[in-house]
This record gives sequence, structure tokens and C-alpha cells, in this order.
Amino acid sequence: MEPTDGSDALDPAAMLALQERQASRVDDIFTRPTIAIVYIWGVAWTVGFLALWSASDENPWFTTPPAVAGWLFGILMVGGIVSSSIIGSRVSRGIQGAQQVQGTMYGIAWAIGCTAAAVFGGALFAAGMAPALAAIFYPAIYSLVVGLLYLAGGAVWRDRLMYGMGIWIIVVGMAAPFFGSPGNALIMAIAGGGGFLVYATFLEATRRRRAHRSAA
Amino acid sequence: MEELDPLIHAQARLRIMSTLAAIDADSSMSFPRLQEMLDMTAGNLSTHLRKLEDGAYVLVTKTHRGRTPVTYLELTTLGRRAFEDYMTGLRAMLGGASGTGTS
Repeated sequence: MEPTDGSDALDPAAMLALQERQASRVDDIFTRPTIAIVYIWGVAWTVGFLALWSASDENPWFTTPPAVAGWLFGILMVGGIVSSSIIGSRVSRGIQGAQQVQGTMYGIAWAIGCTAAAVFGGALFAAGMAPALAAIFYPAIYSLVVGLLYLAGGAVWRDRLMYGMGIWIIVVGMAAPFFGSPGNALIMAIAGGGGFLVYATFLEATRRRRAHRSAA
Repeated sequence: MEELDPLIHAQARLRIMSTLAAIDADSSMSFPRLQEMLDMTAGNLSTHLRKLEDGAYVLVTKTHRGRTPVTYLELTTLGRRAFEDYMTGLRAMLGGASGTGTS
């Protein structure tokens, strides 16, 4: 095909295909970063909580030194927060209006929720919470915050799958404490981290199917 | 059979309209971001945008971010309706087959 300035029209079928390709391209630009964020958290939770669980003698295959497990978990969580806020803030770059305000407010809600959970934990520590209890408390409170934010996101964007994921995270987060520590970390790794990975894989498969259909 | 809207019935302008229709009705997109989503040269994009602006399909807002001028583009109500009509017309021509793409 000759290079063109795009002033010409093609036959109707080709024009429809052109529009579908562009719509899919735009859709990709918006959905890919979201999928990346979910993958990042899936890996962070799976690896991080497995490391915490392996710091006890529960893991029959290997043991992580507790200090290493703690650091690894911390690095993964901070890395997750930093990378997802950078990726998230770039999605609506160059877009102004209600859509951008909505995205920004939602992003700030994450920061508020996570900070509040950390402050609450600090207060409980100050009130004499033992480390053994903290090992149960922290994953549960963060699951509650993350789950509620997924519910909020699902409600705002009328995304049933996201809403369902919110319910799942809350169920996992509230069930895990009943397994005690470090059993709760294993539940968080498999059902929590694993849940994110399944969710991300499903989103990616849906995106590819859509992209493939428009390219056909 | 009705004619397709000549203002939209051009490869570049159909892609522009489709991209701007992808964001919410009360939102606008900066020129550089739009250019990135379309992968068009700035000159070519400007030319087509001017035609769409002349037809009142696209609203151009020039503003400043700090000292740098930024141009924001958005579909007007007329433009959004024209794009929907164009897509409906296009699909009707093709026998109403295939219903994906805009949603």
C-alpha cells in the first residue's frame, strides 16, 4: 500500500476493520497497564507470603531465614506500591475531565487505605500487640483494604469481574486468620496471590481474544 | 442507500474519531497523547483535526500547563452522534453483520 496522509477512504469492510483495529489499540493502551499491575501483585503476594510461611518449620522443602523473609516481603510490598502507582498514574496521562478526576481519586483512595492500615497496626503495636498476633493482623487488614477498593472500583466502573475479585480477596483475607500463623501466610500466598495471577491471566486472555478478533 | 458522512469517511479521520470516542463524553485528550495513540505525524494529525473542528465534530481547547501550551481535543455532542451514525451506517452497508468495535 502507498503511504498516505489518510485522506482517502477504503471500501466499507476495510473501513470497519480499520476502526476495529484502532478501537482495540486504544483499548490495549488502557487495559494493558491494569493487567500489569494485577500481575505484579500476584507475584508479590505469592512470593512474599511463601517466603514468610517458609520462615517457619512448616515448609517441608526449605526454610527461609526469618530476617531474609521479612526483608523480601517488605521489598516486594514497597516495590508493588511504587510500580503500580507509577504505572497507574501513567494510564490517564494527557486526559482531562471527569474520567481523569475519577482515576486520580481512586488512586488516592489506595494510598489512604494502605496508610490507614499501617497506622492502625502501629497503634495496636503501641497498645501491646505481640508479633505473633501482628503476623495475623497485617495480612487480614490489608486484604480488607484491597478487597474493599476492588469492590469500589468494580462499582465505579461497573466491572463485575473486578467486584467479584474484591469479594474473593476479602473472603481469603478473613479466612486466613483462622489458620493461625504461619498457616495464614500459605493461604494468602496460594488463594490471595494465586487469585491475582488467575485474574490477571484471565484479563490478558480476554484482551488477546479481543485484539485477535479485530486483527482478523 | 445513504451516503457515509464524508467528514468521517477517511482513514485518518475515522481513526481520530474512534479514539476520541473511547474516552468519556466530558473528558478531553491532549494532542501528544492523541498523536501517540494514533501513531500519526503532528502535521498530518493537525490537518485532519482542523477539518473535524471546522465541521464542529471536535472541540479544540488551547490551555497552558505551566509555561508550555497544551492543546486538548474532545468530541462535541454533534461529533459523537455523527460517529455513532457513521458506524451504524457502515454496519448497515455490510448487512448488519458484526457488532463489535465501538463498545
